[in-house]
Formats: sequence, C-alpha cells, structure tokens
Amino acid sequence: MKKTVLTAALAASTIAGAAQAAELRMSWWGGNSRHEATQAALEVCGAKHGHVIKPEFTGWSGHYEKLTTQIAGGTEADIMQVNWPWLSIYSADGTGLADLNTLSDIIDLSSWDADQIEAGSMVGKLNGLPISTTGRLFVFNKSTYAKAGLEVPNTWDELVAAGPVFREKLGEDYYPFEAAKLDAALVMVIYGTQKTGKALIDPETNELAWTKEELTDAVSFYKTLVDNHVIIPWPDVAAAGNIKLHENPNWASGKIAGTYQWDSTYFKITGPLEEGQEVVYHGLLSQDGQKTPGIYRKASMVFSISENSPHKEAAAQIVNCLLNEEEGVAALGSTRGVPASKAAREQLLAADAIKAVQIEAQAKVISAEGPAIHPMMEFPTVRSALEDNLELFAYGEIDAETAADDMIYAINEALEDVK
Amino acid sequence: MGGESKYVGLWYVAPYVIGLVLFIAFPFLASFYLSFTDYDLLSSPEWVGTKNYEKLFTRDRTFDKSLKVTLIYVFTTVPLKLAFALFIAVVLNYRLKAINLFRTAYYVPSILGGSIAIAVLWRYIFADTGLVNMAITALGGEPINWFGDPENALFTITLLRCWQFGSAMVIFLAALQSVDKSLYEAAAIDGAGPWRIFRSITLPLITPVIFFNLIMQTVQAFQEFNGPYIITEGGPLKSTYLLPLYIYDEAFKSFDMGYASAIAWVLFAIIMVLTLIAFWSSKKWVYYAGDKRS
Repeated sequence: MKKTVLTAALAASTIAGAAQAAELRMSWWGGNSRHEATQAALEVCGAKHGHVIKPEFTGWSGHYEKLTTQIAGGTEADIMQVNWPWLSIYSADGTGLADLNTLSDIIDLSSWDADQIEAGSMVGKLNGLPISTTGRLFVFNKSTYAKAGLEVPNTWDELVAAGPVFREKLGEDYYPFEAAKLDAALVMVIYGTQKTGKALIDPETNELAWTKEELTDAVSFYKTLVDNHVIIPWPDVAAAGNIKLHENPNWASGKIAGTYQWDSTYFKITGPLEEGQEVVYHGLLSQDGQKTPGIYRKASMVFSISENSPHKEAAAQIVNCLLNEEEGVAALGSTRGVPASKAAREQLLAADAIKAVQIEAQAKVISAEGPAIHPMMEFPTVRSALEDNLELFAYGEIDAETAADDMIYAINEALEDVK
Repeated sequence: MGGESKYVGLWYVAPYVIGLVLFIAFPFLASFYLSFTDYDLLSSPEWVGTKNYEKLFTRDRTFDKSLKVTLIYVFTTVPLKLAFALFIAVVLNYRLKAINLFRTAYYVPSILGGSIAIAVLWRYIFADTGLVNMAITALGGEPINWFGDPENALFTITLLRCWQFGSAMVIFLAALQSVDKSLYEAAAIDGAGPWRIFRSITLPLITPVIFFNLIMQTVQAFQEFNGPYIITEGGPLKSTYLLPLYIYDEAFKSFDMGYASAIAWVLFAIIMVLTLIAFWSSKKWVYYAGDKRS
C-alpha cells in the first residue's frame, strides 16, 4: 500500500512539474479515531501533491510540552496542529510561526470568515488556520436517565435532584454526572459565570473578575454535587487511578451518565459506549436568575506551518488539501469537530459525513452566549491554581473560603506574567 | 613512542569525552547559570540574580511540600529496598535446586520495572477494583484506597521501586559469594548460630557493597519520575509530588526553565550533602579487606 502511494506521489510530482516533491512532517494530538483519519488523509494528500508526509501523533497529555520544546529547539514539524491559546506563546509578535497570508495563492483563505482569520492571527500575521470552533457542552446518557425514569436535566437543580434518584433506583455505583480534576474546575467556572455574568478572568483587563464571595460560592457548588450523589467524589476518582472518561468502563456501560466535554470530542467519548447506550449533546444547564448561559467557547485548534520549514509551499498544499480539498476533507471527516472551513463543512454535510448530533452540538456552541474566554484559562499555571485548590477542598483539607483565597492568590500571580 | 602513537589514546577516548562535554558537562553548567535567570525557553534568558532561590526558600509552598514528600520517599524506599534485596540475595545464596532459574526470575522486575508499561500495570493492579483489592476482599479484608488516600499513595509508589530490587540483589549476591567460606566454618565450630554468623561475619564483610548500594539507590530514589508521573500524577493532594515532577512541571508546563533549574540545583545539593554524610559515616561502619580496625 505504502509503495503504491509513494509511486503515485512520485508520478504526480513528475506530472505536476511545478510542485517540488518534499518530505514533510506533521504533528498532532488526539484519540485513535483522529490518528487513523489523519494518517489516511496525509496519504491521499501526499499522493495528490507529490509529497511524503511523516506523521507524528500523541495523546493530549504531554503534547504541549513536546511541541514547545521542539519549537524552542527549531525541530518542530513542518505542519502542526496547535491549540489556539498556544499561538500567543509561540508567536506573540506573529513571527514565531509562518504567516499563512503569504501562502494565500496556495491556501484558499476564502473558506474562513473574517472573525476566524482574526482568531488565528497574531499582530496581523495569520499564524494558524482554525480547524473548528469548540465549546464545552453537557453530554448525557439518555439510556441511563430513562432507566432511572428521568428525562435528561435542563437545569442544575434537576441535575442535583437526579443524584438521589440514581442511587435509589439504579444503585450506589450509578451517577448522573461526573467531574473531577480539570472537568470539576470548569464546571465550577461555568456555574460561577452564569451566576455572575462575568468570565473568571477578564480578557480586556487581564484581571480576575470574580470577587472572593463569588468564587467561594462556585467552589461550594462542588460539594453540593458530591453530597447529592451527582458526581463521584474526587478521592474515589483518584482511587480508581484517574482513568480518563473514554477509557472508563463505567462510562462505556452507562453507570456514569453525564459529563461536561468539548463538542469536538464526539467520536472519542461515544466510541467506547456499549451497545444500547445513547448519549445526547444537551447544551448548557441553567440556573434561576442566571446572567448568561456562560458558554466556554474557543477556536479549538489551528493548523500552523513552521517558520523554520524549508518546504512552506509544500506544507501549504497539504494544509489546503486537509482543510479545503475534496480528498483530504473526506478522509479527515469530522474527527476534529465540525470544520471551520466552509468548503469542508459543505462537503461533509452533502456527503452526510457529519452526524446530526455533531451539527446540533456545534449549533449549540455557536449560538450560546457567554463572555469571551481569556487565553490564560488554558494555561497550566491558572489551571493548576483552580485544580489544586479545588482538590484540597474536595478532600476536606480546606474550606471553600480558603480555597477561593488561594485560587485568587495563585491566579493573580500567574496573571502578573501577562501584564 | 612516536608522535602518532602518542596521541592515539586520545582518539579512543574522544567519543566519550565529546559526549561527556556536550551532553553532561555543558547542560550541567548551563543549568547552574540558568538557575539565576528568568528563561521561558522561547526567548533569551534574563539575569535575575538569586530571585529564583529566594522564592524557593521563602514563599513556595509547593516546593516545601514536594521536598518533604521526596525526603519521606527516599528515607522509606532506600532502606526497604536494600533490606529486601539483601534478604532475597541471602535466600538465593543457598544451594537450592534450580537456583539459577530463581535468580533470573527475581531479576526480571528490574528489567521491566522502570518502564511506562509497568507503571500503567501498577495503576490497574492497585486501583480500587484492582487485583490487590480483589485479593484483600477475597481474604475477608476491607479494600484499601491505594491512590485516593494521600496516606497510601506514596507507599504504592514505594512498593513499585522496591519491587525493582534486582540490580541491588545481584550485587549483594556477588558479595555474599565472595565471603570466605572458612570463616563460616570456623564460626560454626565455635558454636555460632545462623543469625550470629550473618550479623558478625556476613554483614561486616559485605559493608562495602551495602555502602555502594546505599549511595546508588539513594541517588536513584531522588530521581524517581516515571512511577508517580504515570500512576498518580503527583496526587492526591501532592502526596506523591516528588521534586523531579515539580522540576518537570516548572520546566515543561510553566516553561519557567530558570526556576526549574534552581530546584534541580537544590536537589543536586541535597543529594551531594547526603552522599558526603554517607562517605563520612562510612569510616565508622564500612570494612574493607586489609582494614586494620578490630
């Protein structure tokens, strides 16, 4: 197979004449479905444009560390999947990554609207092409809820009320929701955002926008969820070995019946479900008197080209193929969420290659309102400030007020670096 | 000796020397310089004097916690592992049937032990519904929260390291086999029992090897990374957050290379001081062949 592709690639490059055959590298993170689809897409795009592309893929964990180290050492791949907030680290002045505007004769930029191009630009230089827009949504296992005699919840109150029902009707090991570590921290964030109407960190001022009381209230909500058998307590999640949701047999079997996830993770989290388990991307839970639905939305990821690449044109051909051309788009499918590229979206919709549930989920992400997310919310310093203190609270080591105090201290310290 | 042959030795050692300078000496010295800088990897280092060290010793609670956990880990793991390795070595020193098979079998964990796959396996074995808890409940006991309870999590990591006792065991075994048999015969004739023989003959004669293993295992324990990184991710409540994990997080998650270098140098200083103490104390308890002490 590989030989055939290579032969085809060489033949294509000879015919094309203008295209210089290049050996490229492309790196990304993801789950198995994304790895398989991307490798298939690279084979067809490589064959079409006469290049050979070596894939370099990992899981999410550790990818940021690896990519940053590569960029610092100038050994990064020619084409990279980059998390949107990382653009400000790798290319604060726009010169750290290739400016894709200079390759616009190869990449058809008309597939993206102005806002999307702006999201991928640093100081006017287009450093990354948005692959999709993503947001956190509540996902529920409809089958398990039906087994408990419940509809999937629309409000936090309904979710909290589902806990005792699950325990009584289905057993101690059934939970209507799950949240530990980062997921728990982000549940706390959306709960507080809805209540206050403010993002935790204000992108305009680079300052913490919540008061101590508001943060304390959001932290306390975690306890409400645990006390009502809504989520598995943090120590029990740790006892099980901190298994990721998509690897957790209790999620696959429906014993864990809800989660708060990126809409782009559809294949990853639905893939392992056992037969008969139906999950729905349900939008956002609401609360009485909320000031905003509080969607946590961002450009999920972008494709960037290395500034050090000696084959920028060839890399641009591959990027365009993956995001705009029929062969690449078909092979890639929606393994990175519903595509931001208009050409890809229309093709996949026409081919029925995007599932209805994905389109609905994407529509919920796009239509929901919420304050803009500060890029620092994605940084390890801020995340560990939230996670570490919430963990202490979850273990009963500190009270909610102290947790809020310590979060404020740690986040402010992290924000000092960007001021 | 001709001019050509005079320098030929240099050519032989050149690959090692070049490797040493490029990959050990230079990074070693560079990290010392970086520990006095603010360096985010993507831009040039900026000299900040002793700021990193001041922060480390005056207002970094994570460092305090991590240092405490590391010291507890080292001071429990090293004695446990050495005692266990010595015990197994003594057993394997007996002339039993198929002894070579046993010696090989006991060494296997050391070949596998440091790998990521074993760390993942450990996570499943000690999970709340894992093999160990299944065995405990089958025997009528209560399941133990190995990873979720901060009191137990570090012990689980300690067990993983102790399980990799093979290399220390092999060295002990070699030392045990080199003990002069006539000493045992003489002691037996004088009426000494097995424990007395072990305490008064075997132990003193293998003290140089105990000392060697002590130093090596201490250094290795201070550098433990894979186990806590894969199994517990440093948690819960940072109860397994050893200093190498903290260095890694500061260096490759926060990209504060200067601060990470400062922590690394503090770790180096601790290892150095403990090694010097061990060397100093060795005069009192390590006996070498030809030693005139009585």
